[in-house]
Amino acid sequence: MRHSFAYLFLTPDAFFQDLITKKESLRRPAMIILAAGIAAGAYACLVGGLTATMMAGIMPGMETIIVLSAFFGALLFTVILWVLWWSGVTFAISTVFKGKGSFKRTMEIVGYGYLPQVVGIIINAIVAYLYIPKVKVPTLSTAAIQDPQLIQEATRALMHDPAMMALIQITSIISIVFLVLSANIWIFGLKHARMLSLRDAAICVSVPVVGYSIYYLYMMTVI
Amino acid sequence: MKKTLIIPIIALCLFLGTMTIAASAYGTPESIVAAGKVYVSSVTYDPAVFFTGDVGTVTFDVTNGNTDQGVVVNHATFSDIDNNIKLISGSYDYSSNIGPGKTQTFTFSVEADGRDGTYYPTFSLSFRDADNLWYKTMVQIDNTPLVVTILDKPDAFTQGRKKTMNVQVANPRKNDVYSVLLEISGTGITSTPSKIFIGELGWGANKTVNVAITPDQPTTLVTTVHYANGDNIHKVTTDLPIVFGTDKKQANPVVSNIQIKSDAGIYHVTGDVTNAGLETANAVMVTTLPPAIPQDPYRTYVVGALKPDDFGSFEVTFSGENGTSIPLQLLYKDADGNIITSTYDVKVSIPANNSQTNGLPLLPILAVVIILAVFVGGWAFYLRRNKK
Repeated sequence: MRHSFAYLFLTPDAFFQDLITKKESLRRPAMIILAAGIAAGAYACLVGGLTATMMAGIMPGMETIIVLSAFFGALLFTVILWVLWWSGVTFAISTVFKGKGSFKRTMEIVGYGYLPQVVGIIINAIVAYLYIPKVKVPTLSTAAIQDPQLIQEATRALMHDPAMMALIQITSIISIVFLVLSANIWIFGLKHARMLSLRDAAICVSVPVVGYSIYYLYMMTVI
Repeated sequence: MKKTLIIPIIALCLFLGTMTIAASAYGTPESIVAAGKVYVSSVTYDPAVFFTGDVGTVTFDVTNGNTDQGVVVNHATFSDIDNNIKLISGSYDYSSNIGPGKTQTFTFSVEADGRDGTYYPTFSLSFRDADNLWYKTMVQIDNTPLVVTILDKPDAFTQGRKKTMNVQVANPRKNDVYSVLLEISGTGITSTPSKIFIGELGWGANKTVNVAITPDQPTTLVTTVHYANGDNIHKVTTDLPIVFGTDKKQANPVVSNIQIKSDAGIYHVTGDVTNAGLETANAVMVTTLPPAIPQDPYRTYVVGALKPDDFGSFEVTFSGENGTSIPLQLLYKDADGNIITSTYDVKVSIPANNSQTNGLPLLPILAVVIILAVFVGGWAFYLRRNKK
């Protein structure tokens, strides 16, 4: 009963306390990651469609390649983020606090903790669906092939479109909110998975979360 | 008997004939009277009026006014005491008979050496059987040349623009001139035509011609009139300074209502071109010059013909660096097809609303920071409370 996702949100400590007694299994976490990846792919398709429209003048037929690349790129990135960043970095830091437990278990609890982000990414995709038609997409001519500066300028113009700016800001805030919710779950999960105190688990999770958030902020300022 | 008479008669006739001939070599009352009826019927100078230094001819027609008696002349000459009109050919030094009612022509080559004025050289004719005939003639030396007048010219010349000039060639002399040729020349000047043959120009007459001039640089226009006074070639030259200036009537396209947009790194400049001149501006085109690089779709915008006070809109697209000044080139053709260009500098800068987007997105950053602070602070508070 405690394996219900409702328990994951409401009483994560009890959820993972119960989960830790079971045999390690990545089936359900992998499904969650896949769902997150597909949602992220859908979001990437919508945003990638803008780039495809922008590039249509340079090479007709390139739109499909760009959209597919965006989808599979987002899917792959979600998996890599799960394994290397959230699980890997958290696991590595927890070893400093003499954490015990396998990496697979860490991946498992991180996978479960990804569930709020699935919701967040879906919301982001909906927001993107609403905002993207409002974005004024610049079109490049064939002359841009010989001038990378033009492509750079076009991308810059696209990213600075008011609707695009609003989309980026809204989705950023949503992403961070749901990342914090995931982090909250990961702290309780790591506590049981690596047999750490709540304080140590909080530190282990906070480092990659804050690091990722800082990277996110950096990207926002660069764009 | 008869034979004896014939021989003396023939001898008498021969004697009488010989005596008659001998008697006629001397002035007799009859021959003097006959010589008195010989007169100069006409005098012709060619040219009619000389320039100093001109060479020409003078022709005298001598008519025998007798109806039944010829006269023998054995010398004819032409002379001027002061040598203002100088004989350069020989005299007539042979005898000739001018029959009754006949006219004999005597032509002399002369050279005018005097200054401007009227001269009276003398023609003399010697009779064999009488005294001489003296005849004073009048001839003029006048150094007044033909006159070249620019009747009409443009208010101002501009580089490469074809303009029409109205040139008058007048003959203020007292005689006709021939083979009049007007020649237009000058450094950096293209004239159409460069030579105009006028031909004969009577005294007091004038001829007007139109010449199209295209100057490539400020220079001096040289109009030269070549003409023949008799067989003597003369020329007269007139200089006209060609100074570039502003044609008061020419088309004057003015750019206004400039608006700049940046789209995908390509600047779109839109505006209006108004013809503030008094002539039509044909084939008006707008484009950009370096450092701007023209880009599709409007590398060059053809506005078309603009009549005075007409206007047309244009749009040009180009890439370039933000904040730089871009020369906008305006080209049009005048009625002769001359291309006239002008440039307008346009300051390229991203509009203010775009500039704002370059700033940091403070609101979302603040939101993210607050969320993180709440998350970390909340956990710190939670851990401290649990520890107690």
